[in-house]
Amino acid sequence: MRTRWQRFKQSYMLYNFLRDPVAITSFIILAFLVFTSFAAPIIAPHDPYDSSTIDIMDAQMAPAWIDGGSSEFLLGTDAQGRDMLSTMLYGMRVSILIGVGAVCLQAFIGIIVGLLSGYVRRLDNILMRFADVQLSFSTYMVAIFIGAIVQTMFGVAGYDRVAVPLLIVIIGLAEWPQYARTVRASVLAERKKEYVEAARVIGLSRIRIMLRHILPNTLSPVLVISTVQVANAIMSEAALSFLGLGMPITKPSLGSLITAGFEYIFSGSWWITIFPGILLVSLILVINLLGDWVRDFLNPKLYKG
Amino acid sequence: MKLSMLKSTGKYSLLLFTLVVSAMLLAGCGSEEKKDAAEKAAPAAPEKIVLKLAMDADPVSLDPHVQLSGGMLQYSHMVFDSLTRYDKDMNFVPRLATKWERIDDLTIRFHLRQGVKFHSGNEFTAEDVAFTLARLKTSEDYKGLFEPFEPAKVIDKYTVDLITKKPYGLVLNMSTYIFPMDKQFYSGTTDKGVAKDLIIKTDYSFANENESGTGPFVVTSREQGVKTVFTRFADYWDKSGNVEEIVFSPIKNDATRVAALLSGDVDFIMPVPPQDLERIKSTEGLELVTMSGSRIILIQLNGERNPALKDPKVRLAMAYAYNNDGVVDKIMKGFATAAGQMSPKGYVGYVPELKPRFDLDKAKALMAESGYPNGFECTMIAPNNRYVNDEKISEAFVSMMSKIGITVSLKTMPKAQYWDQFDAQVADVQLIGWHSDTEDSGNFYEFLSMCRNSETGYGQYNSGSYCNTKVDELTLAAQVETDPAKRAELCQSAEKIQYDEAGFLPIHWQNLSWASKNNMNTEDIVNVMNFPYFGDLIIK
Amino acid sequence: MFAFAVKRILQAIMVMLIISCIGFAIKHNFGDPVRDLVGQRVTPTERAEIRERLGLNDPFMVQYARFLGDAVQGDLGQSYFFKKPASEVILKKAPATLELVLCSAFIITFLSVPLGIYAAIKPQKWFSRFIMGSSIIGVSMPVFLTAILLIYVFAVELHWLPSYGRGKTVCIFGWWDSGLLTLDGLKHLIMPSIALSSIMLPLFIRLIRSEMMEVLESEYVKYAWAKGLKPRRVWWVHAFKNTLLPVITVGGVQLGIMVAFTILTETVFQWQGMGSMFIESVERSDTSLMVAYLVFVGLIFVLVNTAVDIIYGLVNPTIRVAGRK
Repeated sequence: MRTRWQRFKQSYMLYNFLRDPVAITSFIILAFLVFTSFAAPIIAPHDPYDSSTIDIMDAQMAPAWIDGGSSEFLLGTDAQGRDMLSTMLYGMRVSILIGVGAVCLQAFIGIIVGLLSGYVRRLDNILMRFADVQLSFSTYMVAIFIGAIVQTMFGVAGYDRVAVPLLIVIIGLAEWPQYARTVRASVLAERKKEYVEAARVIGLSRIRIMLRHILPNTLSPVLVISTVQVANAIMSEAALSFLGLGMPITKPSLGSLITAGFEYIFSGSWWITIFPGILLVSLILVINLLGDWVRDFLNPKLYKG
Repeated sequence: MKLSMLKSTGKYSLLLFTLVVSAMLLAGCGSEEKKDAAEKAAPAAPEKIVLKLAMDADPVSLDPHVQLSGGMLQYSHMVFDSLTRYDKDMNFVPRLATKWERIDDLTIRFHLRQGVKFHSGNEFTAEDVAFTLARLKTSEDYKGLFEPFEPAKVIDKYTVDLITKKPYGLVLNMSTYIFPMDKQFYSGTTDKGVAKDLIIKTDYSFANENESGTGPFVVTSREQGVKTVFTRFADYWDKSGNVEEIVFSPIKNDATRVAALLSGDVDFIMPVPPQDLERIKSTEGLELVTMSGSRIILIQLNGERNPALKDPKVRLAMAYAYNNDGVVDKIMKGFATAAGQMSPKGYVGYVPELKPRFDLDKAKALMAESGYPNGFECTMIAPNNRYVNDEKISEAFVSMMSKIGITVSLKTMPKAQYWDQFDAQVADVQLIGWHSDTEDSGNFYEFLSMCRNSETGYGQYNSGSYCNTKVDELTLAAQVETDPAKRAELCQSAEKIQYDEAGFLPIHWQNLSWASKNNMNTEDIVNVMNFPYFGDLIIK
Repeated sequence: MFAFAVKRILQAIMVMLIISCIGFAIKHNFGDPVRDLVGQRVTPTERAEIRERLGLNDPFMVQYARFLGDAVQGDLGQSYFFKKPASEVILKKAPATLELVLCSAFIITFLSVPLGIYAAIKPQKWFSRFIMGSSIIGVSMPVFLTAILLIYVFAVELHWLPSYGRGKTVCIFGWWDSGLLTLDGLKHLIMPSIALSSIMLPLFIRLIRSEMMEVLESEYVKYAWAKGLKPRRVWWVHAFKNTLLPVITVGGVQLGIMVAFTILTETVFQWQGMGSMFIESVERSDTSLMVAYLVFVGLIFVLVNTAVDIIYGLVNPTIRVAGRK
């Protein structure tokens, strides 16, 4: 018996991966970013969540290599006097959590609804109209509404503790219909194909056909959407911050850092916007590049053809 | 078969579409041109002097009495004209009233300017003043301010007496709010049989869409929230300004408003966000005018909700821990004046000695002596789109308090949701800004620091439930005191008590700012009330 | 077919009923509309009186029944802020948003199709890599940041384009304020529509590319190659036509979502459309306008989705129109 590790070592996946320099580079960068963000409490020079260490008099200091900068703050400070580098690392952690969490929730709801409505005729109309209702309520409204409910339940005291799960739920609930409609479209296209008919003829259960036969064949568009959706979810959170409904200002995410920097566009304190921007773009870039690779790999027609 | 079916589907959706379109056709197009008014306005000169103006919001109505707000008063100064108005040094200068004299304790007599015309062509007389005062007393927003007044007494065509029920020291302040409206124009009923002078907040009313004032500008076209065009009133009595047309667009977003000025799409913007002051100052061809304002930002501490905040030592410690100057310097970019009290300089209650008292060591010492030497936790709410940098100020407050062991859990929210929460006192610490609409100290105490009393309405915005009967007594005494020196003494004592007890934490007075191209006399037309007198603007 | 139409209309009505019902149920969470109508001086008692007069204190069912009763007669309520019927306000603002969305859709279609196809058929060329790379950067930039950077470069620094608003509009059909017919209006349209399309364009390029690559590997394309057809014919007729299907589906949904995305673009450019109207109505707690907007957007979604279903049937004859027995 080969161990799992041996099997993995000899797998086609690893082989394919090691032959693709873009994938390797992206993976290394992504791993590095994820590691630094989750290890932020250990490696970050300051703790931006500990407000007692922040001094307003340090506000808007330039990066260390520019006049007016201090070696204490490598990438400068923001408008509150927080160290940019540490705040970005902590913020990236929040962004990754929200992005991945929200997309998992979206995909979960969306795939179930999409499969059901694509495959079970009777549910189709109901579920799709339900998606229409959901789409009419933009993320912004869902945010205000759920935010209000949470506040009546927990009061204003613990908001900064519940903010991350709250935003995951908000963004997840607000944007699942895109998945549902995409999956449904693919299911509609697949269900008429011979292999589904064949599966039906040999008497497999509906659930089995849906999950084991149709679902894998609808994953390609789902993956394309997913990688973009992670970016979108992070973006949605930034947009909510822009409208004043995102992460609490004391625990900023990468998106809300950029939002905060938005105000400083004309002011000359470029580092407040540019650094989080570069970090966010590189994060999403590597996620997308890896997503492309996974898609190409998972798509059997592409590599066998 | 299939094709024909699809075609018919197309037909039905076409039908649906037609239905929607025909429904849409019922709505009109274009902004409401005020044709009558336009004809009476100045005939267009070949080289019209036009001012393109952008503010953060536009007037909600053409009826000056529909809402008491900064925006509506700015509008009133453009289209109407008040009996008196403030100059830059807060003195009263004659406008429609040329002079005034005190007849007795209750009466002041106003002599009116002669030969002044309304936009409708009617002549301005004392009757119009009486009509306007009566209308003010029916307005939900203004009736509180004009409660002390009896109906005005018309002496002759150009003389009118303003009479108060009790001796009242603020009659002249109030006369800046009386913008005479055209009695003849607003009398009678519309086609639908509704009185033309009715004040309606949420629906069509004659006054909401038509105006006839005596002011320098006539509204010639208006599309709410998009664009309003003001044209110079040809018969305006005061010839000091030369702007013939003002095209006013509201631009809500700060960065967009600044960009519009920098790109030359507009000539004049207000307000200017603090982070862009430097940029505008250093841009050639632009002029920046700032002035310390009178809107106080303060933080209210609720001792009823959180016992720790009832401890006098804790309150003082918090006052000592807050670095007013640091916030003004770093967050407000010098665009505010650090405050130790509510009354700004120039108000009767202002006491020069009451300075911000940042001293971290003292604060720590006070905390150690208090009942909470190890600190405590409390909650805080603040708006995030109401005051300049409100969210950042609150965040700075949180970090300053953490230095003396107080953990503040902050939640910020948009203003639409904020005020209900504020009234419900959902948090221990709440932030509010206040502008005294009488330009007088007493107004601060009445709304912000007198004991909460739902019957009298005093302390309506005192969400910290601060209560000191001595402050109440002093404020009530000041209301009926007409001798300015004695009033000042009363107000200053109240201010002092609040300072010593740290009844609340004053943060700063928000500055005012205007930016324009440098070919006009912006500096001369602006003032501390933030009512730019565009009628006096001269563009070279 | 008549049955299908009736069914769809019934569904549309149901959707709008549900939307309005939810809208009504949650509207008090958006603040008190009276608060924005009065100055700071008005007492709580007086505010309560105004609320009473506006019928805001009535129980939910009473208010909702009243709304439905009026809605049947085409009256979606009164906007507190605009002091006009809400439907009138929305229809006045609709052209601005529709023109913006239309223009962005135009940009997206005319750029994503050639770029997506190119990236699919020549995946190794540097230009393809450039397309894919920049599309990722495009998708990683928040709309409002793209918008302000555009303003900064083209309006503030270069003075080429106007920074805000719609510019000069012309009235057509008696009610539609169009910015498409004047040079000034078109100039004003450029930056907002680029900003709006910046988030969707990358998505479409990637979608078309991935679908196209998949189709290019299919048997019938290989067969077409084997027949010796010209590459152009294979790409456009055989391959591209078959990638359209999922693209249209996603496109339909995304077009709807774009209406939501206009909120940010409109806010930054001070574009007076439905998006900025909606956000302002939320800020002013103009709840009746808000509910009316929701119903209106619900209607648009239903219409768009119906259209998508129909086009879907046209493009792919093997899929039958939903609802047909």
